[in-house]
Amino acid sequence: MTPATDPATTAPAPRTRPAPRTGAIARQRRRTALLATATVALLVVLTAIGLGTGEVDVPPPDALRALVGLGDAGNVMLIQELRAPRVLAALAAGAGLAVAGALLQRVARNPLASPDVVGVTGGASLGATAVIASGAPAALTSPAALGGGLLAALLLGLLAWRGGFTVNRIVLVGLAVQSGLAAAVNLLIVRFPAELASSALQWTTGSVYGRTWAEVGTGGTAVLVGLALALAGHRSLAVLDLGDDPAGALGLAPRAARLRLLLLAVVLASVAAALSGPVGFVALAVPHIVRRLAGPPTAGTLALTALTGAALLLGADLLVLHVLPVRGLPVGVLTATLGAPWLLVLMLRQIKPTPGSAPR
Amino acid sequence: MSTTTPAHRLATHGLRLGYGADVVVDGVDLALPGGAVTAVVGPNACGKSTLLRGMARLLAPAAGTVTLDGEDIHRMPARTLARRLGLLPQQATAPEGITVEALVRLGRYPHQRMLTPWSAADQAAVEEALERTGTAALRDRPVDELSGGQRQRAWIALALAQDTPLLLLDEPTTFLDLRHQLDVLDLVEELNAEAGRTVVMVLHDLGQAARYADHLVVMCDGRPAAAGPPADVLTAELVEKVFRVECRVVPDPETGAPLVVPRARSRRRTATAATAATPTS
Repeated sequence: MTPATDPATTAPAPRTRPAPRTGAIARQRRRTALLATATVALLVVLTAIGLGTGEVDVPPPDALRALVGLGDAGNVMLIQELRAPRVLAALAAGAGLAVAGALLQRVARNPLASPDVVGVTGGASLGATAVIASGAPAALTSPAALGGGLLAALLLGLLAWRGGFTVNRIVLVGLAVQSGLAAAVNLLIVRFPAELASSALQWTTGSVYGRTWAEVGTGGTAVLVGLALALAGHRSLAVLDLGDDPAGALGLAPRAARLRLLLLAVVLASVAAALSGPVGFVALAVPHIVRRLAGPPTAGTLALTALTGAALLLGADLLVLHVLPVRGLPVGVLTATLGAPWLLVLMLRQIKPTPGSAPR
Repeated sequence: MSTTTPAHRLATHGLRLGYGADVVVDGVDLALPGGAVTAVVGPNACGKSTLLRGMARLLAPAAGTVTLDGEDIHRMPARTLARRLGLLPQQATAPEGITVEALVRLGRYPHQRMLTPWSAADQAAVEEALERTGTAALRDRPVDELSGGQRQRAWIALALAQDTPLLLLDEPTTFLDLRHQLDVLDLVEELNAEAGRTVVMVLHDLGQAARYADHLVVMCDGRPAAAGPPADVLTAELVEKVFRVECRVVPDPETGAPLVVPRARSRRRTATAATAATPTS
């Protein structure tokens, strides 16, 4: 198909290592790998602390051993049954939220996009609140949150579709969906018995308290699958970043790709919300932190985003659990408190308008 | 001129293109020669870019078809088409912070499968594209920090890395100074001469179109007003009709290609009219 005379195909003996070892791409790759290694180390430390600290303190190395069933039987029981689900829920939810945020920000070409802006958070809250406030079995909370998130995504899709699925429309419709759903959540909380309503309200602030192995198992698996899909689709994401016409010329159907990636982000965010409730800030901030540390987005930085999100949410949860003087504070309160000024700074910095999409 | 290998010939048949209700291009039947350079010219808003977008499948036809070597491009898988036909879009914006090399690497997208790693052939195509466009030295620079000319060359490199036998260029010389315009056009000529690539480009400058193209399509109000070799097509009557500019067409002193010289409109500047009138147009 390619002309035989093309030097690209008749090039002399191809090098065994095609990637350049110097240059910006290699430098960024090394930097990303280094950061990822550091973050994994941090995750191990945080996990050990999270498993070891509590009413009964277990030394962190013993706690890690107890996680895999070694050592003192009492410790194993305490850590496997009580502490591990919470730690793992924080890790999975953090990773899911961060990757969802990164996908949303790139697909919507808006650095302020996050699940709270496109209505997913409101939908998940509505689902969970409906279950909790109506006194249905607690096991239904997570599936209901997932369902609510997907419902919000469906609303967004239907309402934004007519405008050709432009970036501005996604954001505006998302905000409308979010406030509508939040209003419904408030309605439920006001209408239902006080004690049920208060536990529903607790949920909507975002917390990884009291997660079960069943929830963590399914949620964690879903996050891992979502992450794998995001990494596998990274080339499409990079091509989509070029704009609709260049992407189309490279053989990518931009609308279908945008829809696919948006759906993936929504599922990830909903799964995360089912695990942790609507924890704010993580999805918004982690992609920015990673970009600042590791440079323009690549598949590697996307993986780093997942790790950083996991570390941030677990770290924040440990803070509210063991460091802050107020006992029993949901982790969502801490992240939201950090998130508000962050959002403000971002908005103030965003003076230059977003570049237009396809040229006419 | 092309009977041996697949010629990479684009053709349109009763093509109608538009955006929503407004039709921009209507009833276009064109057969562009394979292995040759075609220039599409015409006044603003005549549908040049729209035609090019239609031929690159970025716009679904409201009626008619576009064929590549007789095959309807809308029936081909997107990636298959993208391995045969590349496009330099008009005024594309690179993602923030992306380096030249990272941008050019994206040109390999249609050649890659989902989980296959970056190959030696991919890297070779990228090196070749950087080399040809003179952007190899800029490879580590962020695209958004480059000058307009450098940026344009980086985008051309992306299209070259795509390694397609057919290349569509939408106003490749806009925003470039004269020297960079000529660099781009020389590159087009080179690509055509060396690898037998078919090139279709939208140009504004009639002189450049006549000088560099083997085949000229003059668009007017969404239809081709004329098509053929520049020497046959580019007449004073046609330019007057299409661009509403009175002119003379003289042989380009450098190449002999037709050169459009607009008539002076203000009396003050026609001082040389007497001397210039001797060689009758």
